[in-house]
Amino acid sequence: MRARAVSLATLASLSVLAVGWQVGAQANASMQALSAPQAAPATIPAPSAGPATPTPAASAPAVSGPATTSAGSTTTVPTAAAPAPAAPAPAAPAPAARPTGTFTGSSVQTRFGPVQVSVTIANGTITEVTALQLTNDGGRSVAISAQAAPILRSEVLSAQSAKVSNVSGATYTTRGYLTSLQAALDTAGF
Amino acid sequence: MDAQTFETMGTVVSLRIGSTARGGAMRDGGLGDGGTRAVTEAAAPDAALAAVRTVFTRWDERFSLYRPDSEISRIARGDIRLTQASAELRDCYAIALDWRDRTDGVFTPHRADGVLDLSGVVKSLAIAEAGEALRGLGLSEWSVNAGGDLLVSGDQSPGQDWVAGIVDPASRHELLASVPLVAPVRAVATSGSAERGEHIWTSAGGGPSPYRQVSVIGLDIVTVDVLATTIIAGGEAALGRSIETFPIEVLAVLRDGSLVATAGLRSGQS
Amino acid sequence: MSLDTRARPHQARPRIHPNYPRRMRLADSLQILAVVSVALVVAVFLADGGAARISTPADAITALGIVTGLVGTDLLLVMMLLAARLPAIDRAFGHDSAMALHQSLGKPALYLILAHAVLLTIGYALVQPAGFFDEVWIMFSSLPDMPLAFLGLGLLIAVVVTSLVIVRHKFRYEVWHLVHLLSYVAVLVAIPHQLSVGTLFREGSLQRYYWLALYAGVAGSIILFRFIVPIVRSLRARLTVVGVDQEARGVVSIRLSGRQLRSLRAKSGQFFIWRFWTPGLWWQAHPFSLSAAPTGSSLRITVRGLGDASSTLPRVPVGTRVSFEGPYGLFTDFARTSPRIVLIAAGIGVAPIRSLLETATFAPGQATVLLRSSTVDDTYLVDELAALCRARGAELRIIAGKRAPGTSSWLPGDAVQARITLATLVPKLREADVYICGPRKWTDEVVRDARSAGLPTRQIHFERFDW
Repeated sequence: MRARAVSLATLASLSVLAVGWQVGAQANASMQALSAPQAAPATIPAPSAGPATPTPAASAPAVSGPATTSAGSTTTVPTAAAPAPAAPAPAAPAPAARPTGTFTGSSVQTRFGPVQVSVTIANGTITEVTALQLTNDGGRSVAISAQAAPILRSEVLSAQSAKVSNVSGATYTTRGYLTSLQAALDTAGF
Repeated sequence: MDAQTFETMGTVVSLRIGSTARGGAMRDGGLGDGGTRAVTEAAAPDAALAAVRTVFTRWDERFSLYRPDSEISRIARGDIRLTQASAELRDCYAIALDWRDRTDGVFTPHRADGVLDLSGVVKSLAIAEAGEALRGLGLSEWSVNAGGDLLVSGDQSPGQDWVAGIVDPASRHELLASVPLVAPVRAVATSGSAERGEHIWTSAGGGPSPYRQVSVIGLDIVTVDVLATTIIAGGEAALGRSIETFPIEVLAVLRDGSLVATAGLRSGQS
Repeated sequence: MSLDTRARPHQARPRIHPNYPRRMRLADSLQILAVVSVALVVAVFLADGGAARISTPADAITALGIVTGLVGTDLLLVMMLLAARLPAIDRAFGHDSAMALHQSLGKPALYLILAHAVLLTIGYALVQPAGFFDEVWIMFSSLPDMPLAFLGLGLLIAVVVTSLVIVRHKFRYEVWHLVHLLSYVAVLVAIPHQLSVGTLFREGSLQRYYWLALYAGVAGSIILFRFIVPIVRSLRARLTVVGVDQEARGVVSIRLSGRQLRSLRAKSGQFFIWRFWTPGLWWQAHPFSLSAAPTGSSLRITVRGLGDASSTLPRVPVGTRVSFEGPYGLFTDFARTSPRIVLIAAGIGVAPIRSLLETATFAPGQATVLLRSSTVDDTYLVDELAALCRARGAELRIIAGKRAPGTSSWLPGDAVQARITLATLVPKLREADVYICGPRKWTDEVVRDARSAGLPTRQIHFERFDW
């Protein structure tokens, strides 16, 4: 190529790249702005697996604190590249009433492309996780759930242990039942 | 509330009817037939027990490998062929095969010694059918616990969800967790080697499972039961795959006693 | 003439032919377009926010995998355009230069596409997590349209491998060409996965339209200029063989006659790709240059019977229908930049030189024709050349003699010993356009001589026939 062509081509290419970069940065910024928590009194019926029944928590639209996005573009899950949802950050102080509603997380990069997830919480338990912006996995939407992580015994859900009426463990035999916790609950009228 | 129990399938089923269903509260609305209704409600627990018992007995007779005269035992012996089996057994077999595909072969009705073992789906299918029977009786607040596999509907008492406890395999009278079951989450199943000493045929290379016990909480009993077996047999890979593909929560106990759980089982989770 | 005997500065700038700036502007624009097209695909990736979302090594690898795929495919499209016989490209660079560039882009494009496949597999495998080969299987079986993409990659590898210089000559040309056409299939078959996997070219997005428009443009150009235009031209021209003249042993001139040939706008020095519709010849296509200036109703080529196919050419029957693609080539007066002209030919390369001599622009005394041969008798069309030179006032020199063994000069051994070079042979070489046509290695030597005489590349013209 002639010198003139080289310099013009370089100039044009650099400007094109710069414009592309700029547009990309803006697109990312606006996507983060969109992902502020939106609470709804009922579950948004999701197109993925699972029946779409509204949660019974039609009470307080307790939208408090747990913003699912922080300033950055990643979520609390350590590897943002993994198919992980934007699980609500435990950093926010737990509100008095267990939050209920549907929260939209920030976009995370997965093998299928960028995925934005919506998390439905009813009385403090995740009942549904839906991918909002997942394209073309042959048309089927992939339900993405939380990853299993190591957890201390003290961290496991156990607030309502006084209300337990049924227990689940490895299947007991008829004999095993007699000395099991379930038998105790059954006879004690729990 | 009182629990009603009966033996079946080598284990014990505990049936509870939620207290909102009893005590004569008007439930159908609009018929103006208050008197008759109250009488029907009070009789419901007996009818419920009978219905559930019938369902389990039927399934037990056909599918229990512990009964020498069950249809599946006869197939195992070779007395009859699978193609000559009843439609119900073949449907059950088809369901088991479908789950084999969905779990990439980790869950399979074919035992390593060649015997067809449908126990993996039979108990949960029976529980599901029992649930249908209860619903057919007009009951919407109940729990059916068959040997540790639990299916619930509605509330335990007005405003109180059914709460399921997960047993600690190291100490069977202690709980690891207590999980409120809020619709649409209705089912809990636990697979483990603590109680019956069942042999879980691990796939892909054999060897003992990394998990001592796996509890799966989800939307329907067959799914959680199959997945509990799948995860304990397939190890970490099956755990990841199952979580990715199905809407479930999982609490798994490793061999050394430490725990692994999905985020929804974390307390203080808001 | 001035009586001033002081040394005159003979660095007078040669007068540039007016065509040259226009042609170079076209060439510049095309080159800039090609480079910017690459920048554009990368910019499309950036504009989608691709770079800003990178937060782990796996992300970076995946992003790089996507970018290499984009750039590699863009290069493939550029390559296909280069081979599409676009008139603008022929006018700016000449078909042979375009094909030389096409060849040199082949390996880089393949490497980029290979990198695309490997990097994405690694990136996905890190996230899954899975082993590399497990991930390959997972991608093959679970991502949409991936089997086709794998097929495309396989075909591309086959095309590039068979085009490697060492491999290519093991096949006869037509077989190699058929395999090479699989490259169209490779590109087509890869399109579905580009649109369905990942979210860059998602439905409704602007970049999807751009990408599809690119493909449509390239496809349209190929269909039009590579297939439709040649077919229409051949049908309209109705060329037939009207005479075969023996020029020398194994060398014949084939005269063709047709109609409305002016619409072809063929120029002296250009070549066509010919197909003779007679048993034994119809399945081959040959590039031959015109050996006489084209008229409204006649064309002439001069060919030497060598190689399995060309040996039947001298016996082509009169009346044979001839179809063609072309005219192509920048070996014409259109490429002129200077007032003087030097025409250098060896062997059958004399054909385009002969046609150029007929119509090239020069004043008497400003043209030199050099014929190189082993012996004086080894030259073709000499009578015609001599007559033309006499008529137009050009100088004709025949340089006969064998090359000294072990050397690589374009001149005979004794000339080299006498320190004769192109500069000494030709007066005012710096003010001339030099046209060279002959065997490849010999041509390279002449070019080297001209360059070392200080001649800029724009004044050196030669045609490669080994594509």
